[in-house]
Amino acid sequence: MMKYIARVAGAGLLSVLLAACGSEKANSVNLPRLALDTLKNTAEARRSGPPQKTVVTSKMLAETKIAALQVNPETTGGSDFLRRVAVRRDSAGGVVEIWNSSDNAQIFLRNGVIVGSRGVGRDIIAADAQVTVNALRSRTDRRGVRTFTVSDGDVTSTEMRFNCEIQNLGSNKITVVDQVFNVTHMRENCLGGPSGSNALRNDFWVQDSSGLVRKSRQWAGPAAGYFETVLLKN
Amino acid sequence: MIRQFASMTLKASVLGSVCLIPSVSVAQGADGIFDIPDRPTLNFYGVPGLIDMPSAEALPDGQLAIGVSTVAGQTRTTLTFQATPRIQASFRYSGIKDAGIGNFDTYRDRSFDVRFLANRESRYAPAVMIGLQDFAGTGIYAGEFIAATKTFSGSRIRGNVKATVGLGWGRLGSSGSIGAPFGSERPAFQENTTGGELSADQWFRGDAAPFAGLEWQVNDKWGLKAEYSSDAYDVEVNAGIIERQSRLNFGAEYAVNDFIRVGGYYLYGSEIGLNVQMQFNPQRPAVPLRLPAPRPYDIRPKRRDNPSAYDGTWAASRTTASGAVRDALIPLLEADGLTLVETRTDASTTEVRYRNNRYRATAVSVGRVARAMARILPASVETFRIVPVVDNLAQSAIVLRRSDLEALETAPDSASALLAVAGITSAAPSLPESARNADLFPVFNWSLGPYLAQSLFDPDEPYRADAGVELTMSYKPAPGWTVAGSLRHRLTGNISSSDRENNSVLEHVRTDANLYAQASDTALQNLYVSKQWKVTPDVYARVTAGYLERMFGGVSTEVLWKPATSRLALGVEANYVKQRAFESLLGFQDYGVATGHASAYYEFGNGFNGQLDVGRYLAGDVGATVTLEREFSNGWRVGGFFTLTDVSAEDFGEGSFDKGITLTVPMEWFIGRPDRTTRQTTVRPLTRDGGARLSVPGRLYEQVRGGHREGLVGNWSGVWE
Repeated sequence: MMKYIARVAGAGLLSVLLAACGSEKANSVNLPRLALDTLKNTAEARRSGPPQKTVVTSKMLAETKIAALQVNPETTGGSDFLRRVAVRRDSAGGVVEIWNSSDNAQIFLRNGVIVGSRGVGRDIIAADAQVTVNALRSRTDRRGVRTFTVSDGDVTSTEMRFNCEIQNLGSNKITVVDQVFNVTHMRENCLGGPSGSNALRNDFWVQDSSGLVRKSRQWAGPAAGYFETVLLKN
Repeated sequence: MIRQFASMTLKASVLGSVCLIPSVSVAQGADGIFDIPDRPTLNFYGVPGLIDMPSAEALPDGQLAIGVSTVAGQTRTTLTFQATPRIQASFRYSGIKDAGIGNFDTYRDRSFDVRFLANRESRYAPAVMIGLQDFAGTGIYAGEFIAATKTFSGSRIRGNVKATVGLGWGRLGSSGSIGAPFGSERPAFQENTTGGELSADQWFRGDAAPFAGLEWQVNDKWGLKAEYSSDAYDVEVNAGIIERQSRLNFGAEYAVNDFIRVGGYYLYGSEIGLNVQMQFNPQRPAVPLRLPAPRPYDIRPKRRDNPSAYDGTWAASRTTASGAVRDALIPLLEADGLTLVETRTDASTTEVRYRNNRYRATAVSVGRVARAMARILPASVETFRIVPVVDNLAQSAIVLRRSDLEALETAPDSASALLAVAGITSAAPSLPESARNADLFPVFNWSLGPYLAQSLFDPDEPYRADAGVELTMSYKPAPGWTVAGSLRHRLTGNISSSDRENNSVLEHVRTDANLYAQASDTALQNLYVSKQWKVTPDVYARVTAGYLERMFGGVSTEVLWKPATSRLALGVEANYVKQRAFESLLGFQDYGVATGHASAYYEFGNGFNGQLDVGRYLAGDVGATVTLEREFSNGWRVGGFFTLTDVSAEDFGEGSFDKGITLTVPMEWFIGRPDRTTRQTTVRPLTRDGGARLSVPGRLYEQVRGGHREGLVGNWSGVWE
């Protein structure tokens, strides 16, 4: 029996060595290698703990000549700085901006509200944010239905409906890299989703003078969890 | 690092962070806000239940469960599939040591179960399940039941409690009978019958006995079970392999993770049992797929702002314009893993025919082609005709208006809105006056890799396998033409060591597998020439000649009718083949047969596909195969088939007729990266010579349907990914 196991193991080893051989390499998957990478990443994540948020200094900001959005994903930790790559005015109302991350992922913001993501994993394919956009514009309490088309992570998608209530929590001051802004804190509580009792809570800090969402904490999909966004430069 | 950010290239300001993309492990953790629905635990038969008794619970829709249990030298391995929210099917392979049945040390048996959820659990009413256990086998587990289960949870006790009561017949009614409500005639279990036939005449007949039990889910990890069993274990007690001293069974279970649950039990007052339960749902990918974000659509200037941009004179010469579009598109498509085949344009319409080498879902490739077209085509082009091509077969034409793409990219409900205005039609066989990609032919591919061949359910050795290396080569000299072959060399294995006597009274078209394995370590699996093409927009054709499979070689022809928007497809296949020699690479034996089928395929919707093949099989028998399959939009497929021919059950031998289950698994589901490969397995409880079909490489239906309407719609949101 042992001899047999040894032979099978030997054949297995040889198979692995031969696995990557062929004329079409571009699309072939090297499973052992993939497993190693995953392991390595997990091990590194455990050793070093979650990456820290980046603190932006006023000097850094001064030298930035284009629009910049800082995104701090809560689930993974760390920070990224996004570039605005497209601006759309469409029939759904408001302005949609597409922001690109350094690792070629995107978020779509409709007047500062996340209505889409790409390349993040389990992306928000599309979302209706009309009620939220209206509330942020008028800084008044609103309630209504929000829908999300969320990718299941296998090129299928699920429609999620939430009943949402947006409240004005009052005026506030926030500091973004040494700049102080007078803002109104708006909070959105949503209930619904696949189980009917999934809860989301989004926070927006809307600049009083410009109506821009200067800072927010928003749900960015089932895999990404919550993103903190800070509009560094518009 | 900080200097990089300051130096203005925000792109370089990764700052060592993990950016927006969650790692695999974190992604599953974050998923927690949308928890996995409660799933029932499994019993010793690998179906939802208590310990040895069933409960009335259904698994979540689409769930696959594997249960492995062992008690008193009896091991049951069961695969269960929740085919619809109410219908569940199971296949079980079991071994009973020293059962004294036949001449086997270990009696091995296969059995099928089916269960129907008659009532869903509601606030006051319990779930009610009707089940048939081992309804078509040799019947050692044959039994039927009606069970009711109610879940209780409240403030007084932690977790929740599920109470089950039921009434069993057959094996499940063998202890503590209360009489025979539906008649008493029920034949006892008979060994050495061929089995396989539906035993409808004995369902719910004979003595019935009640059973009951409680399951306490203490918390997410731990559960306790207790039951009152109505199974007398007659066969096992008679064989002296179990002492049944009590009707009560007890157990404790622990959920290792979302996938695995293990349990230890004390059964029938004398035995210790173990149960390992695995469950997962094909609709939840192991690693969510992450596609690199596409470039946002390039939007044209408004016509009134820039009328000259809409001038169509650039397309005055179709040849020149098409050639320019081709040259611009080739590198853009290449960057997305797509290959341009040909394109033709005029001032308002551009058609692009391409091959998708990267994405499992055709819809993703359609979206990427549309983006590439929007980048390079002059503003006057309003209609995009996007045609995926698989090996010279244009699957369909997806017709999109450019202004719709521009308007909907960021719209709420963008996927269904685009589908509503997209046209999906049959594509013409060819595109005259097109600019073709000249670099496509000839092409030669080869690969050298490992292979694993398996042989299941031999009573002497239930699992046999061969492993070795396989060299595969293909040469495509011109569109639709393929010369291909594969050679295997076995390095190790034990398939050839089977020395069971072949008792088949039919032509040995499948049962000589061990003779092929014994003859040589090196075998030519196949070597053939094939040509496939489209005859009309809805009709496809194929001719293949050569060594088609390990056991047969000859000529195969096929014609398929499948409009791009039709759920129905019809096909005819006619073959003449001769049986290949055991030893020599290229020789034949004397047996030859004309075999072929007329086939009807139907997509019922919600992923249910049916297929009916009527014709003549390899052993010359005439009959039909019925296949029913559930296909998930992510590429998972679970199905079953059976074949009835004019061969009698007696001549067929054990099993009575050919049947089996098929499982198709997309690699993408596991690795979370775009990948087109799938692994398909067909499991037959028994391989005999009746109802055996020729295995031809490159049958048409599966090649074309992925790009047709039903295949596109399930993944349509991928157009935007």
